[in-house]
Amino acid sequence: MKKAQSFVPEDVLIEKLARRDQQAFHWLYDQYSGALYGVVLKIVRDEEQAKDLLQDIFIKIWKNLEGYDPQKGRLFTWLLNIARNSAIDALRSGRSGANATNSISIQPDAENVYIVDRQHNTTQPDPDWIGIREEVNKLRPERKQLIDMVYFEGYTHEEVANQLNIPLGTVKTRIRSALQELKQLFKL
Amino acid sequence: MNIPEYLTSGILESYVLGAVSDEERREVECLSSIYPEIRQELDRLSAALEDYALSYSALPPIGLKEQIMAKLDFGTEAPPVETETPVVALPADSGPTYKITWIAAASLGLLVLIFSFFLLSQLRQAQRISATLRDSNETLQTEIQRQRDIRQRSEDLLAMLRQPEVRIIRLKGNDKAPTGEMMVYWHPHSRQVMVEIMNMPPLPANQQYQLWSLVNGQPVDAGVFDVTDAPQKMGRVIAQADAFAVTIEKRGGSPAPTLSSLVMMTPVTS
Repeated sequence: MKKAQSFVPEDVLIEKLARRDQQAFHWLYDQYSGALYGVVLKIVRDEEQAKDLLQDIFIKIWKNLEGYDPQKGRLFTWLLNIARNSAIDALRSGRSGANATNSISIQPDAENVYIVDRQHNTTQPDPDWIGIREEVNKLRPERKQLIDMVYFEGYTHEEVANQLNIPLGTVKTRIRSALQELKQLFKL
Repeated sequence: MNIPEYLTSGILESYVLGAVSDEERREVECLSSIYPEIRQELDRLSAALEDYALSYSALPPIGLKEQIMAKLDFGTEAPPVETETPVVALPADSGPTYKITWIAAASLGLLVLIFSFFLLSQLRQAQRISATLRDSNETLQTEIQRQRDIRQRSEDLLAMLRQPEVRIIRLKGNDKAPTGEMMVYWHPHSRQVMVEIMNMPPLPANQQYQLWSLVNGQPVDAGVFDVTDAPQKMGRVIAQADAFAVTIEKRGGSPAPTLSSLVMMTPVTS
């Protein structure tokens, strides 16, 4: 289960992006906007805000293309991190006055998935994404929750330890187990 | 550096999730650039997380792409994109001109080529005519020379004939040359002899006719002659002659006549 085969390979896209022409942007947007929008929506849970954020994110990506170093990691990961960090920052600044712990406790992960799925169903679902989602649902819920807390909510290890009331050392171990399981799931 | 231990320490997983301190982040990035195993594990974890993120994919609002593009600065690369239309248009505009120029050049070249062939054929024709003229000129020169020669000989003969003492002997061919006929002009005082051929069978190149005068039954060499149009002055002088005879001899003549090849003999009438 991999990303759609019609996608432009990363190395080709990177070369196109270096030239910074409009076609390169078309490719970049067509290839990654769905994933980035999904992540942003998953984090902020508001379509209007997600739309504004996605716009800012693409502008940020376009301006910081020089900052991407293929030696350090994959392009998609780099793009996801920009989107993720932007969305988490926006979420935190918007909730600066609110009790973060409280807000997370009343938004269990299962509900998040439900919201995104429902929103997604209003548009045309991509069969490939549905396939991937089925794989993700095989992930153990407590591990999935852990990944989501760190990856989508931006929790630090300490925050996770406090939230789940487990020792700090255990957090690291569980995160590792969760990601290793995820890795196995997507290993063809 | 214990790589397997580092791989299982959990820091790579925390790194890809973005849950590491700046110090840890630099450490992971440094080590992954050194150790391919770390880099590979990071890529695998990143890919897994990418797929996980992809599972939340949603179609962005329609028209957002255009909104973003309107705000994007395509930077230094934008002008080339803008100028792409003129650049494309330029060959389209200059295309026909370019083509016409080529057609004109090609036509001109073709014309020059055709003209060259024309000139060449003219030159060859002129050369041919020139050669023909030269040949005919040579032929005419030869003919004129021949006619002059004939005239000269005829004048010599006329000069001889104007003298009253000249003897004119007509020789007729015998059985061996039935159609043979020639004249011998002999002037006893100057002892000169001329012959004029009316009709004599032609001889092979290695043979000549030889004229003899017979004095008291003895042949005297009067010189050799060929079959020609013009009268010929003989190389020998003849003081006396009872008769003239002609034999066929080898070229250059013989000291004594070959009687078997006697073709004509006529007495000199007094």
